[in-house]
This record gives sequence, structure tokens and C-alpha cells, in this order.
Amino acid sequence: MIEPVLRASDLRVLRGARAVLEGFQLAAAVGGVYALTGPNGAGKSTALKALAGLLPCSGQLQVSERPLRELRARERAKQIAYVPQQSLLQSGISVREVVLQGRYAHDPVWPERHKHTEPVERAMSQTDVLGLAARPWNQLSGGEQRRVLLARALATEAPVILLDEPTSSLDVAHALQLLVQLRELAAQGRCIVAVLHDLAQVEQYADVALLLHRGQTVAAGPAREVINSENVRRVYGVELVRNSALGYRLAEPAP
Amino acid sequence: MTEPAESAQPNRAVGARRSLYFAALIAAIAALAWLSLYAGKARLDDTALGAQLWGLRAQRGAVAFFAGAALSLAGVVTQGLFRNPLASPSILGTTSGAQLGGELTLVLVYELLDNHVPAGISHEMLTPLGCVAGAVFALFVVLALSPLRASVVSLLLTGFLLSALFASLSALLRSLTAETWQLSRALTTLSLGSVSGAGRAQLALSGVLALGASLPAWLYFRELDVLMSGEEEASALGVDVTRMRSWCVVWTAVLVAGAVAVGASVPFVGLIVPHATRKLFGESHAALMPAAFLGGGLFLLLCDVLCRALPLRQEIPLSVITALVGVPVFLRILADMERGGTA
Repeated sequence: MIEPVLRASDLRVLRGARAVLEGFQLAAAVGGVYALTGPNGAGKSTALKALAGLLPCSGQLQVSERPLRELRARERAKQIAYVPQQSLLQSGISVREVVLQGRYAHDPVWPERHKHTEPVERAMSQTDVLGLAARPWNQLSGGEQRRVLLARALATEAPVILLDEPTSSLDVAHALQLLVQLRELAAQGRCIVAVLHDLAQVEQYADVALLLHRGQTVAAGPAREVINSENVRRVYGVELVRNSALGYRLAEPAP
Repeated sequence: MTEPAESAQPNRAVGARRSLYFAALIAAIAALAWLSLYAGKARLDDTALGAQLWGLRAQRGAVAFFAGAALSLAGVVTQGLFRNPLASPSILGTTSGAQLGGELTLVLVYELLDNHVPAGISHEMLTPLGCVAGAVFALFVVLALSPLRASVVSLLLTGFLLSALFASLSALLRSLTAETWQLSRALTTLSLGSVSGAGRAQLALSGVLALGASLPAWLYFRELDVLMSGEEEASALGVDVTRMRSWCVVWTAVLVAGAVAVGASVPFVGLIVPHATRKLFGESHAALMPAAFLGGGLFLLLCDVLCRALPLRQEIPLSVITALVGVPVFLRILADMERGGTA
């Protein structure tokens, strides 16, 4: 059995006096895709930020068997990469410079660029942004920016990658490509934890799902078991109708 | 899946262009430094005191250069910290905070210590310490009242309020001490916004503070680059945001103090020059910071030469020229930001 690389138990996050996340548990191992899902305001993004060490929280949180709180910012960044839903970056720096930011934790004082060429190129290649290397960041489309942010996360070479709604605002093809890519990354030895809204995507691409509602975990387990009629009705107040909507898959490349 | 890699050609072209701009900056500084020796009403060959005049003009030019360089670099760092191209020392109240700190130190020395400072210590040494303290205080107040993610409006209003408060307190100090001639003169010199009376002591002070703070400030260029993505992303990428912010505040304060303590509390240098250099050198702080340092020095030296060369009965203060250039630049950046473009 594979040991979890990211382990959270009884996480609690307060906003003012109100708990926005309570009793959150997760044991995530490399090779797996873990989905945090639930309605708006359920606490998914809060849970993800708490896992990334970006929010003050109580409870136990370990990465690679070390308490996250004991790690310095740079050590934490080498273990956990975080991809926000949307970056605040508005600059015209090149895509390569953005991806190179992912190497900061490895070489913070004096960047020896040649040392980082290989991981940066590999990350850009994996996310299909090598062709954009010299393009200014602020001239990219939303989908391109998503891929660049994923490349920056991959450049950290962290075993755990946390993604906040990675498919939102992406068109069908780009969303599917990204989800397939997340599965590939898991197969290559990463642990993927993503906030996903689309239950069909959760069921199809995640190994484990955590269904959150009002800061509590309502159900957790294999994605196909968690996404069931009872849970969906309880949390969303809607009936689950299988095989009723349009489905998509990536097209075979033309011969 | 893999697209062909773009060649390294664009990177090399950017590097070559930057080198060319740096060479042009240095050449312009050298030319202007030479020209500044001849700018002024008295002519070097007209008087037996030519050599002395030459020395005074050289010192004055050098002080203008270091003050401009320090204010400009301080502007780049504050803009990086606040992720806002309008954040500059004069707009955030840092300059007036440094000035008030320097003035309070002078009052302390003259009034409370009865002008008896310990042996080996002079006013010139104590005033910059007060300026640093005032600038640090002003920056921390802005950070506390207007967090990094605050809107442009709230940031500008906070800076405006602080500047107004510090200016009022400065005016109060001056009115309370008007009868002490020596102190009143020292306070006026500090608030002059000019380098006309700069001598060796001012040159040493501005040079040491500008050069001494610019290197440690520059060492934060990677953190400032990463901080462009916001505090949360920077933290996720491994930046200890609290620590880097504190150190950047300290070095910015020392830079501003280096200019204010020699009387060069001129507005807008930290806005105009970073804006122009960002257009030429790009947004990566590794190149932007030294470019802004040199560009700021060049700009204030040019302003000083203009002050001396304009055929007016009295020499106008540096701050008049920097404000005349600075206000339109400020409005242009604000308009760009309102349109959602990058300034």
C-alpha cells in the first residue's frame, strides 16, 4: 500500500468567529487524483488553501511525513505546488519568466538559470506551452494562462499539486486536455488534489472524491461511490439523472 | 503535444537591447555630469575661484545624482511591494514621513539636548537616522491601513492623508521653532526640495545611503518578481512574504532618507523614472532596479542643470520641475489603469 504523501486530520479554519471548514480529513498518496467538490461556499477552496499552508488553521497537517507548520516557506514550496483559480499576475513578463518563478524555492538567492533550464523546459513541454515561451503573460488567453500556471507548478517538482477549479472558464476541449493531463501527472508519480465543480468530471477523472457542504465533509471515498443520487440530492437539492447530458471525449488525432 | 520551442533568439535580442540602453544611460550621465560643471550664472573661466566653483558644482551634481537614484529605486521597490505603478515614496507619504522624522530629530538636538550632541556625532549623522525612522513609520502605517490587495483608490487616499498629516505636523514644528534662528534655518534647509547648498557632507551622506541601501534592496529582485503574482501565490512559491516585505521597507526607508536628509525631498522622481525605465527595460527587477537607479540619477541631475541654466532671476527649486513632469505622468498612469491596461 502506498503511504500518503499529504495527510490532513481534523483541519479547522475560522473566518472571524465562524468555522468555514471543520473536521476536514484527507490522506492523499502519489499516483492518485483527489477531487474536492460541493456547492458554492462549501469550503472547497478554503480546504485547498489550508492544505497548501496558505491559511491559518488548526488540526494536523503533514507532507512527506513532516508537519507542514515546521517547514519554512521554501521547503513547503518544494513539497506542495499550488495553482490558483486565477493568477493576480498582470505583468508583461514572458511565459518563460513566469514558469521560472516555479524554481524560486530551489535557488532563491542567485538564480543560476542553466540549472533550471531542464525542469523549466520539461514543465513547459508537459503543458504544451513551449511555443509560447517568449510571449508576454498579459497577452495570453485564459486557457493559455491556465497551462502556464500549471507549468509553473510542475517546475517546482513538488510531489503534491493542488489546483483550484482548474477547468473553470475553459472550453470543452481544453478542460478535457487538462483533466487527461492531471491523470498523466498522477501516473508519473504526483499527487493531484483539485477542486472540481463538474460532478461528471469528478466521477470520470478522480480516484477519490470528498463532497463538502457548509464546511463539513458529507462523503468521502472512491469518486464513483461518492457521486450518487442520495448525496447529490442531500447536498445540491437536485436529482441525479445519469446519461442525460451531452458527453465529450478527446478526439483521436487525424491519421 | 509538444510545440516547437521558440528559439533563444528573442532572449538574446532582449539582452542586447538592454545592454545598449545601459550603455546609453551611462553615456548620458557622463555627458550631463560634464555639462553640469558649466551650468550656472558664474563662469568657470571668469573668476580666480574657478577651481572652487568647479568643486561646488561637482558636489552639487553628484548629490542630485545620488538623491535621484535613491528616490527612483525606492519607487521601484514600493511599486513592487504594493503591486501598483502609482505607489511611490512621495505619493505614499514616505518622503514627508522621512522629512518629519528628520525635523523631529533636529528639534530634539537643538531644543532638548540644547545643541549638545555627544562627541564624535554631528547633526548630519543624526538627521538621516530620524529620516529613516520617519520613512519606516510612514511605510508601515500605509501597509497596516491599506493592505497589499487594497484598491488603487484606498492606497492613494491613505498616502494622501498621511502626507497631509505629516506636512501639517512639519508646519507646526516650524511655527513652534520660528524664533530659534539656527534651528529654523536647519528645518528650512531640510524642506527646501533643492540641492543648491549641497557640499561635501551632503555628498558623503547621500552617496553612502544611496549606494549602501541599493545593493541589499536589489538582492530582493527575485522576491519582487514573484510578488507580482500576489502575496498568496508568492507565498505558495516559497517567498517568506512577511520577511521580505519588512526588509524592503527598511531599505526603501534608507534610500528615501538619503535624499531627504540632504534637502532633496523632491516629489514624483520615484514615479516618473520607474515608469519610463519599465517601458525600456521590462518588468524583471534584476534589470529594472539598476536601470531605475541610473535613470533616477540622470533625471534629477538633468532637473538640477535646468534649474541652474534657466534664465530666471532666482533659481527655481528642483521640486517645481519634478512636479511639472510628474503630474502628467501620474495622470497618464492612472488613466491607463482605469482603462484596465498595464501602466
